[in-house]
Amino acid sequence: MSRKTTLTSRAEEIYAESDGTPYAPHTESQVDEMLSAIGADSVEELFDIPESIRYDGEFDIESASEQETRQQLTETLSKNETPTEFLGRGYYAHYVPSIVDHISQRSEFITSYTQYQPEVTQGFLQVLFEYQSLLAELTGLEIANCSMYDAATALGEAATLAARLRQTSGSRVLVPDYLRAERRSVLENYVDGADMTVSEFATDDGVTTVEEIERAIDDDVVMVHLETPTPDGIIEENLAEIGSLLEDRDTLFCLGSDPVALSVLQSPGEVGADIVVGDASVLGLPAAYGMGLGLFACREEFLRQVPGRLVGVSEDSDGTRSYTLTLQTREQHIRRERATSNICTNQAWVALRTAIHAAYLGPSGLVALAEECHRLPEQLATRLDEIDGVTAPIRDRHHFREFQARLEPDARDVAEELNENGFAIHALDADTIQICVTDANADAVDDLVRSVEEVMA
Amino acid sequence: MQHHTQTIWNDSESEGNEPLLSEKRLETVEIEDTGLPDDLTRDSLELPELSEPELARHYTRLSQMNYGIDSGPYPLGSCTMKYNPKFTEDIAALPTASAHPDRDADSVQGILEVYHELQGYLAEIGGMDAVTLQPPAGAAGEYAGLLVTKAYHEENGEGEQRTDVIIPASAHGTNFASAALVGYNVIELPEDDDGRVDLDALDAAVDDSTAALMLTNPNTLGLFERDIEEIASLIHDAGGLLYYDGANLNALLGRGRPGDMGFDIMHYNVHKTFATPHGGGGPGAGPIGVSEELERFLPDPHVRESGDGDGYELATPEKTVGKVHGAKGNWLVLLKAHAYISRLGYEGLQDASAKAVLNANYLASQIDLEIPFEPFHHEFVASGGEQDAADFAKRMLDYGVHPPTTKWPGIVSEALMTEPTEAESKTTLDQLAEAFNAVTGEDDDALEQAPDQTSVKRIDQTIAARDPILSWHGLDD
Amino acid sequence: MEFTVPDELRYAESHEWIETTDGNVRVGISDFAQDELGDIVFVDLPSEGDELDRGEEFGVVESIKAVSDLYSPVAGTVTAVNEDVFDEPELINESPFDDGWMMELEPSEGTDHLLSPEEYRDQI
Repeated sequence: MSRKTTLTSRAEEIYAESDGTPYAPHTESQVDEMLSAIGADSVEELFDIPESIRYDGEFDIESASEQETRQQLTETLSKNETPTEFLGRGYYAHYVPSIVDHISQRSEFITSYTQYQPEVTQGFLQVLFEYQSLLAELTGLEIANCSMYDAATALGEAATLAARLRQTSGSRVLVPDYLRAERRSVLENYVDGADMTVSEFATDDGVTTVEEIERAIDDDVVMVHLETPTPDGIIEENLAEIGSLLEDRDTLFCLGSDPVALSVLQSPGEVGADIVVGDASVLGLPAAYGMGLGLFACREEFLRQVPGRLVGVSEDSDGTRSYTLTLQTREQHIRRERATSNICTNQAWVALRTAIHAAYLGPSGLVALAEECHRLPEQLATRLDEIDGVTAPIRDRHHFREFQARLEPDARDVAEELNENGFAIHALDADTIQICVTDANADAVDDLVRSVEEVMA
Repeated sequence: MQHHTQTIWNDSESEGNEPLLSEKRLETVEIEDTGLPDDLTRDSLELPELSEPELARHYTRLSQMNYGIDSGPYPLGSCTMKYNPKFTEDIAALPTASAHPDRDADSVQGILEVYHELQGYLAEIGGMDAVTLQPPAGAAGEYAGLLVTKAYHEENGEGEQRTDVIIPASAHGTNFASAALVGYNVIELPEDDDGRVDLDALDAAVDDSTAALMLTNPNTLGLFERDIEEIASLIHDAGGLLYYDGANLNALLGRGRPGDMGFDIMHYNVHKTFATPHGGGGPGAGPIGVSEELERFLPDPHVRESGDGDGYELATPEKTVGKVHGAKGNWLVLLKAHAYISRLGYEGLQDASAKAVLNANYLASQIDLEIPFEPFHHEFVASGGEQDAADFAKRMLDYGVHPPTTKWPGIVSEALMTEPTEAESKTTLDQLAEAFNAVTGEDDDALEQAPDQTSVKRIDQTIAARDPILSWHGLDD
Repeated sequence: MEFTVPDELRYAESHEWIETTDGNVRVGISDFAQDELGDIVFVDLPSEGDELDRGEEFGVVESIKAVSDLYSPVAGTVTAVNEDVFDEPELINESPFDDGWMMELEPSEGTDHLLSPEEYRDQI
């Protein structure tokens, strides 16, 4: 066998003179042995790329030692300021216990692939099954997948599921005025392919009312979405009434929330939610510039329309209980253009971290954390309200993790000055700031209050 | 002493599986005195309540029941299971890498610099003009790329007319599903007898309703689409766009760039080509690169140098398609990819492809199965012949290795799609070849009863699907 | 492999069989079709009273590796569905022509356009 060519690309020269990737174990003599077994004279011969499109350049990327690379990136990242973050609006930080890092970094977990061979991936499958079970308990719904990318894409998937389930065609998804613009944009893209649009309903002093839903809804609406807590930090108060209103219609009720809030708040299943979406990485992942874990749970009757991976129970040939990915005929690798979603790679490893964090807390720890998330913002708001020029909270509602405050001088200036003092808060407009406080930053509350006093003085 | 410690392999006295957390200790907490009105809270919460030492053992045992790259070879075709360098995890764990997504651009200049540099690296590697890092996975990249496609045709006043996306039959399932999600009709293209795009069929399929052709190159058989320039002309002459599925980019680093081949849009699978860990199914990241003409459609926001040239900013592209992720993508994954690319540089990257292609060709030369299509690059598809590919794979587990991807693409009967990657040594490839050859020719009984050497035997898929139990609540009755 | 193709039935190219008794017809899928699919795990069928056109999709059968649409071999009104296959989809694998039947129709047309057993045997 002879595949001789006369190609001499820059790549070939480099190949001859460099050590190449440190993550390939070949010695030079092994390369020669392998080439001779193949019947080729050089590695370049194995590339069947027409010369006209062969790349003969060289990327302007220098290789570096591990130590140099670490130093370089550490230096780059040190350009980030490191304020104490009092930021929330849909992205929340809680203290992540050390066990989460240590276990999730075990290479059997982090270096494994999707569980296509369940006989040798029982460990991860069981973790994902336990994750699904955790979410089933928290949402009061029978099915949770494992997982979507983030809260926004989970909402998009919910809307396409709602459209598939409709008996008659419908073309609108209703969302609250408080929905983050970014999430709305993602949702609009998801529903556009199904020829649907997104419209907004107004809320009443921060919460959704039956009247506002009734005003906005018609037969064309396939899904109504609400969030509790809202991105403004307010706990919705009329969920059960809204649930019964929607129950009588051919319209799905999608509720956005997160595992910490759901530990104490009304069970979505009991208030009539058909789907729950949100960001589950509030447990398990520190602030990661918006990288998340899309929570997706729904009623059992939608089983065959669920997007994403599902782990189920089975038996091996000895009759031992075991776990496996199941109902894969819904998925893209089998169903292709008729799949329930295009998702393949998801956030499984983040789900592992979330599951460990939740298990670490246990039900009593989760409930205690959630209670703290209710208590801390109310306490902080009360303290800030005593400062001249500050009204906090703006709304007389039940808060979770965060609240909005009205400032007399320009809110943006105040936020900027606070930032200079090492505190990052949201400035929403000229009058309004928003402050998020959890177990992660509670120890800095006294400093923040002092700083606000200084700035407002 | 009791042996409860189950591992993957049946080489110890291990017995019994690890109980569920819920079977160890389940506790019900009544929700009361929360400070919230009772009608806004749940009645109770029932979840496992265990101590940290118990949890450490639980999860450690589960990890021992799981196969990763560090356990052994993982030659899943089109998945590029290469070694994940450890130091990238340490960089991702730096406290300075942690930030809320709503932080002002000014205060996260380090993150934005990493974004900007990685955009530049990927643009250069792919031969593209502009790159966004927002899509959180390969399929999300396809989806973003097709949103850009749609926006481009709409701007040209051809949005209504261009309804079709052409995809080869052997493509990844995500291509079809992503096209459908954007609202396109899918036209499936047959392969020719050589396993490549059938030019006549393509010619017949392309017309003024063509929005795009999606191609993987090398394709899933590992073959380079040698006619790519002609294919590009065909599509471009008809007014369509050419999309590159980056799943097999590990074959081409430093030798061929999609941009140079005529592709207008591509996605990169950083969890394949750039060695970020798959984490049991994700997270990945699926950045897309586009030609200059399409830059204005990229998702919002886009990281670019600020006007004063003194840093970086988040800008909204002029005709943006909007967002495909709630924030800015899977940041920590992107950071690990940056670390990998910086470590390897051009020399290392081009060598990674050289060794990946060498390894696939060497492994193929050592196995007895027929490989109907060549010359392949980083992966090959062997045929199980009379042997069922799925059973063949299960039997390979008995030889201590993870099997290849099975039963795809359909053009090879009983397909075993094999991609060893550059990370395997000759010794390991020889072990893999031994496993292949040991199973080749074994009778149906041995195959159907496999695996035999694992602690969990063949798992029944039918039981799981007929009566799905998807949480521990379903086990009560 | 030999597949059962009962002589008293007629067949659609899409592998449904049809049996005519007293003016009503019963529909299922062939032995060949159930074998191709493998273990069937889920079936979705129409409701009584639904009107179907010839060739119209009337349901879905799903195995662990594939999903197949079912097409009505004749036009007509659904008069009965076999509810047993919802709980025991394996009946379709075990007894495709008998216990694994799917629906009964009051047909609004004849069955002459369908394949004879000989023609269907040739097809598979």
